[in-house]
Amino acid sequence: MNWPMVAFVVLGGITVYSGWRVATAPLVTHAALFLAVTFAGVGGLFFLLQADFLAAVQLLLYAGAVMTVVIFAIMLSEMKDIEEPRPRGWLGALRSPSLGALPFIGAVLLFAVMLVVYLRGAPALPVTPLPAPTNSTVFIAGALFKIYALPFEVASVLLLAAMIGAIILTRVEGGRRR
Amino acid sequence: MLNTPPCVGSCSEFPRLPRAGRRGADASTVCAPAAAPLGAEKAVTCLLSLGWLVPLLALLGYVGHVFLGQRAKQWSALFGIVALALGFALSVGMLAQTIGGASIDVSVPWLSMGGINVPMGFSIGPLQAVMLTMVTFVSCFIEIYSMGYMKGDIRYNRFFANVTLFVAGMLTAVVANNFILFFAAWEIMGLCSYLLIGHWFEDPANGRAATKAFLVTRIGDVGLLLGIWWCFTLTHTFQFAALPGDLAALHLPAATLNAIALLIFLGAVGKSAQVPLQIWLPDAMAGPTPISALIHAATMVAAGVYLVARTYPIFQMAPSALFWVGLVGAVSAFIPATIACVQTDIKKVLAYSTISQLGYMMLGLGVGAMEAGIFHLLTHAFFKALLFLAAGSVIHAAGTQNMHEMGGLWKKQRWTAATFIIGSLALAAIPPMSGFFSKDAILAAAYVSPDPVFYWLGTVAAGLTAYYMTRVVLMTFFGSPRSEHVYEHAHESPAVMVVPLVVLAVPAAALGLAAGFLRHLLAPGYIKPDVGLIEFVPLLFAIAGFLWAYALYTAPLARRAALLRSPLIAAPYTLFKQLWFFDHAGSVVTYVLGLGPSFVIGAFDRYVVDGLVNACGSLCLWLGRMCRRLSVGNAQAYMLTIAVAVVIGLVALQFQAMGG
Amino acid sequence: MIAVQGVPLVDFLLLGALLFCVGLFAALRRSNAIMILMGIEVMLNAVNINLVAFSRYLPRGGDRGQAFAVFVLAVAAAEAAVGLAMVIIVSRRRGTIEIEEISDMRG
Repeated sequence: MNWPMVAFVVLGGITVYSGWRVATAPLVTHAALFLAVTFAGVGGLFFLLQADFLAAVQLLLYAGAVMTVVIFAIMLSEMKDIEEPRPRGWLGALRSPSLGALPFIGAVLLFAVMLVVYLRGAPALPVTPLPAPTNSTVFIAGALFKIYALPFEVASVLLLAAMIGAIILTRVEGGRRR
Repeated sequence: MLNTPPCVGSCSEFPRLPRAGRRGADASTVCAPAAAPLGAEKAVTCLLSLGWLVPLLALLGYVGHVFLGQRAKQWSALFGIVALALGFALSVGMLAQTIGGASIDVSVPWLSMGGINVPMGFSIGPLQAVMLTMVTFVSCFIEIYSMGYMKGDIRYNRFFANVTLFVAGMLTAVVANNFILFFAAWEIMGLCSYLLIGHWFEDPANGRAATKAFLVTRIGDVGLLLGIWWCFTLTHTFQFAALPGDLAALHLPAATLNAIALLIFLGAVGKSAQVPLQIWLPDAMAGPTPISALIHAATMVAAGVYLVARTYPIFQMAPSALFWVGLVGAVSAFIPATIACVQTDIKKVLAYSTISQLGYMMLGLGVGAMEAGIFHLLTHAFFKALLFLAAGSVIHAAGTQNMHEMGGLWKKQRWTAATFIIGSLALAAIPPMSGFFSKDAILAAAYVSPDPVFYWLGTVAAGLTAYYMTRVVLMTFFGSPRSEHVYEHAHESPAVMVVPLVVLAVPAAALGLAAGFLRHLLAPGYIKPDVGLIEFVPLLFAIAGFLWAYALYTAPLARRAALLRSPLIAAPYTLFKQLWFFDHAGSVVTYVLGLGPSFVIGAFDRYVVDGLVNACGSLCLWLGRMCRRLSVGNAQAYMLTIAVAVVIGLVALQFQAMGG
Repeated sequence: MIAVQGVPLVDFLLLGALLFCVGLFAALRRSNAIMILMGIEVMLNAVNINLVAFSRYLPRGGDRGQAFAVFVLAVAAAEAAVGLAMVIIVSRRRGTIEIEEISDMRG
């Protein structure tokens, strides 16, 4: 039995399904929970790829931090209708309130094109992975602090700017709490 | 870089040498150990290599004013005063070294493009050292005086900041060893004169006077710029030191040299307010009185004369240009002197006398007596600063500038009156005051020149000078008070204003003693022409002028009024009173030369240039109207568009890959 | 030990593509600003799958793929922080985060 393939199919299936539910779940909170599952699934795929460090970061950052922020945003944004009107029928879920069937058609078209591109290129792509690095943290740190030291610093500045921006944006004017 | 100039080899100082040895030390910017063959010089730390520090100190003073001035309240004046005092100390040191025969010319590379190399640098020789000493001394005391005069002014700090920058500009112009730096400093002075003449801009008339000063001097600046550019295209250098030699090496026709010299001279005419560009200077009286003193004595107008002196070798190659310098000088000495005789505003009289005295300096330069012109520039700087400051003291006390409201102030302002009279005697060239020696040197040189008309114009102007200064002194300080209110109001000025007057009175009176010394310093080979008793003719004219003014202005008013009724007096009186119609002529020239072309250019601009611009604008507007339909405002629609674009792009790439 | 012997690279790429399109669909279909941001997060994750897969399979990928994945993560975190802050302030100002109603910037 090809266990890695089984693990890949299972993890990929969970990830894509929960991603689909993010798009279609009527309740916003449900969608958020499915997002967490998607993140976790991607983290699992990283483990499968022996990228331990990234997998850990994925779980901590996405499934942990970003999800927390999303849930806070949902709670703070005082949504009046937290639940969308239930779609009629199976196909109803595919329709967007504003753009109708266009989003679905667009996404399917894009996937179809990518499918063609990948399948055409598939023979040239490797089938077996390279030997895994013994320590993926050291492996990634070498890249970050040697080759990509400058982009790394720029990213830190970006995060700082994002943090300050978020604080300034959400600050209550006049320093007065509601 | 600049603080460690290559001192060794380019600068030397040595003990006093016999005159034969020092004669080799040319007063030009060529910097070489003059008496090197004698082996007498010793390499010491060269103070001259700090020459750049003098303008920089003033500039630092300006920076201090700008950043700390508001906080320092009335003490902010000290920034400029201390900076200038330090600059003065340094200048005196350098003067002492140049007496020893040292000079320096330092350049650092500044702009290097292709084959063009423009170095920046400074040079200090006897001329520069003398100028620096005078400028820092006079302007330092003008600033001290201003502490009293400008007390309580709403823009007190700005005033001092601008004054200090003004002086910094002048000092930079003095030490500059190339035309580029010189011109920059020249323009800084233009800017500062504009700012300071318009210091009290609440009155629109003051603003107009500032604009007029700026624009009229601009005419000269255009000429100067053309001259600089012409020199550069011919010789590829801006260096004062190299220019004359390079020009001479080209063996240019005399007409070209004359044209170059006259273009440079046009700049000097504008800055030094010579006929016919003198019209801005009397209007510049709109500024506070210390500014008048500064502009008239130490900085602005002196810069024009200095420019001619600095580029004197070029003028010497162009004799007919030199003739024009002398002619403009002589006319400028005479005409404003006549106008000064009929002015009633005490500052206006002094303003016209400044033009007249600058005319003398130009006259001196024009007849080949460069050192005499510069000497007169120095003595004039001291006594004219003194006169203006004393006049400012009178105005401060009397609250008016109109001499018809003054009179009898001698009793109230002893110090001011005494110093004003000293200044007047110096201006009227009465021995033993300094003005006598400098004016005498110029007129002696004019007498031996081939154009005796210069001499006679200058001599008559000397008589007029004595006349109008006597008139001012009599109307202001003597006789009975004409206005009770003014007289009651009058009082002696505070010590901070009186002390500079007294200090400035000393060189105004005694600088004549240095005449021989300065002559040897500035022009070692020059010997003042011996003209015998002719030397005393200007003095006779001055005494005549004095007596006439004394007779007229101690006589009852009715007699003067009667004189005016006779046509022989009335005609010139009207001419003088109307300023020889220079302002009217200026207006006509402006209208004819200015408005005609302006109209054509304006039409071209409005219909052709603007038409094109508007067409572009309309096109963009139309395109924008079309394109805004695409902006539907829905973020998801945009996202969808991007997705579709990616799909199209991928398909296109795929087809390309297949094709390739 | 978990390993991926037997799974070809193209499978990972296809999974990434599928997840990307699902994320895109979510971002396009949802009318709620928070949900749109969620869709975008899914898209970014899909990209990361590709990057990590490249780093494991391609000899020239090496550590670069994972390093880029870290940068994508950083950008995603920044985007989430600022985007959600904007959503919150929009909801505070307008009382809604329906994307159709936030369309003032139309031409």
